Amino acid sequence: MKKKSVAGTILKQLFLILWVFLCLFPLYWMFTMSLKDTNEIFGTNMVGLPTQWLWGNYANAWGSGGRVSNYMLNSVIDTFATLIGTSFLGYMSAYGLLRMRWRGQKAVFTYILMGMMIPMHAALYPLTEILMSLTKTHWALIIPYVAFNIPITILILSGFIANIPYEMEEAACIDGSGIYRTAFTIILPMMVPALITAAIFVFLQVWNELLLASLFTTDSVRTLTVGIKQMSGQYQTDYGSMGAGLVIATLPTLILYMCMSGQVQKSLIAGAVKG
Amino acid sequence: MKRVLSNKWNIMVFVLPTVLFFTYIVIFPIFKTLWYSLLNEIPAKVGDQSHVVWLDNFIKMFTPGRRNSFPGAVGNSLLYAVLSIFVQLPFSMFIALLLANGVKGESFYRNVFFIPVVISSVVVSLLWGRLYKSLLPQMFESFGWTIPKNGFLGNETTKIWFSFLPSLWQYVGYHMLLMYGALKSIPDDIIEAATVDGASGAKLAFRIQIPMIKPMLKVCLSFSLIGSFKLFDTPWVLLERSNMDLPALSMYVEMFSNHKYSYASAQAIFIVLECLVFTVLLNIVFKDRDERRLARGKGAARA
Repeated sequence: MKKKSVAGTILKQLFLILWVFLCLFPLYWMFTMSLKDTNEIFGTNMVGLPTQWLWGNYANAWGSGGRVSNYMLNSVIDTFATLIGTSFLGYMSAYGLLRMRWRGQKAVFTYILMGMMIPMHAALYPLTEILMSLTKTHWALIIPYVAFNIPITILILSGFIANIPYEMEEAACIDGSGIYRTAFTIILPMMVPALITAAIFVFLQVWNELLLASLFTTDSVRTLTVGIKQMSGQYQTDYGSMGAGLVIATLPTLILYMCMSGQVQKSLIAGAVKG
Repeated sequence: MKRVLSNKWNIMVFVLPTVLFFTYIVIFPIFKTLWYSLLNEIPAKVGDQSHVVWLDNFIKMFTPGRRNSFPGAVGNSLLYAVLSIFVQLPFSMFIALLLANGVKGESFYRNVFFIPVVISSVVVSLLWGRLYKSLLPQMFESFGWTIPKNGFLGNETTKIWFSFLPSLWQYVGYHMLLMYGALKSIPDDIIEAATVDGASGAKLAFRIQIPMIKPMLKVCLSFSLIGSFKLFDTPWVLLERSNMDLPALSMYVEMFSNHKYSYASAQAIFIVLECLVFTVLLNIVFKDRDERRLARGKGAARA
């Protein structure tokens, strides 16, 4: 093999470090903004570390001034319920569609996967008609979130379920296990990694969703994305608290990513076909 | 066992709830949107007379006129697609190649470059919005450059570019990761053989590595294209409410601010069609190439 030139290596590293800087700078900026007061943010100290670390901004955004605690709770409820829904319905139908044998199973499988190609925009107005009466509840978001994430969940599960040998079912059947017991106590445990892969993808989609959340939530069930978007309008005078709100909204995904970056990357590769 | 797996009742219990739910929430609304797009008005208000006008809404969408901003919006989304395909993707490919060919700190770089992808686009937009209002003008000043009149997002000519920048920046990591994964799955012996034959650097990349990850390039391309037609979050947050510079934004404004439901439905249908057409086109282009290559390969073998 040819020896790599030293200059080339340095150039490569410099370029990569520059991009690292550009990737992380907005985050750094967000964290420092959340600890400054408005004067500092506006000129006296835009880029530097805060002169005084104003943790009060967080208290302000979380409780007294802002409503981030509320938004957070709503986002957690909606996301959690959506994940339960997609995992349950996704697994049930994936099992029925790919494990059981019946005429037309391929057609139904294709029918559901086609749903992936269709952007949510196309269903927007009829969805308002269906969901308008629910906007005071969490259902107005959970229902469309589950429905629109079923295809990708089934697709991710289908890749895994094909690798489980049919002998599993045969053995279970001989031992006298019924179909429901087989599906839920024998095959399901083997599908946990697939379910996690799908769940992480859906989690990121739902946690960061803005369009439906801005249409179908009233004040008490507002989620984080809409909430902080509104805050940015309200808090024209208190940018520190707004920064704190942004940090709070970002932390869950950031922590998830830091703890399991490999798994998150795998999930997003698996879900990439969704577009 | 076969009897258990093809018991009609069991199959229904497993599949039917999902299919019905999915049909009611995803498929049924799409056909309803299609139907609405053919009406002159949706009877949302009492006393409205609605009747079928066939393609009138679609014709109106593309009738030139000073107040019709939809053609411009479509143009802008195509501009985003071009930027994404000719700037964002090659840039991501460059990084992916650098990483896949082995540098010190490979996995560190990969993990960091992916961070923007997991952050909410609302947060990203709000952060960039602040950057445009405070830090960037200061930087421009200190370099002695002129700041666009009315600010980066207020200026008619610059606002579209600056509202594209955050999402282009955000998804470099995604494309990079997809390409990196594909590059890494090329068997080592192919790369080694090429290296022994004297290929390296650009030659190795363009002759061997990039052609070998074509299926993934197709995924990236369709992600870029469909993403550009659906682009909504970032420009919506950055440019405030009343703008109609992109198809999805225009649809949203027509629907929820101007309450022209049927006209907005036509725009929604147009977005769907645009996505479908480009998906099909991509499939044809990539399939064609593969078939031609196969045919050439066969011809060569016969000769």
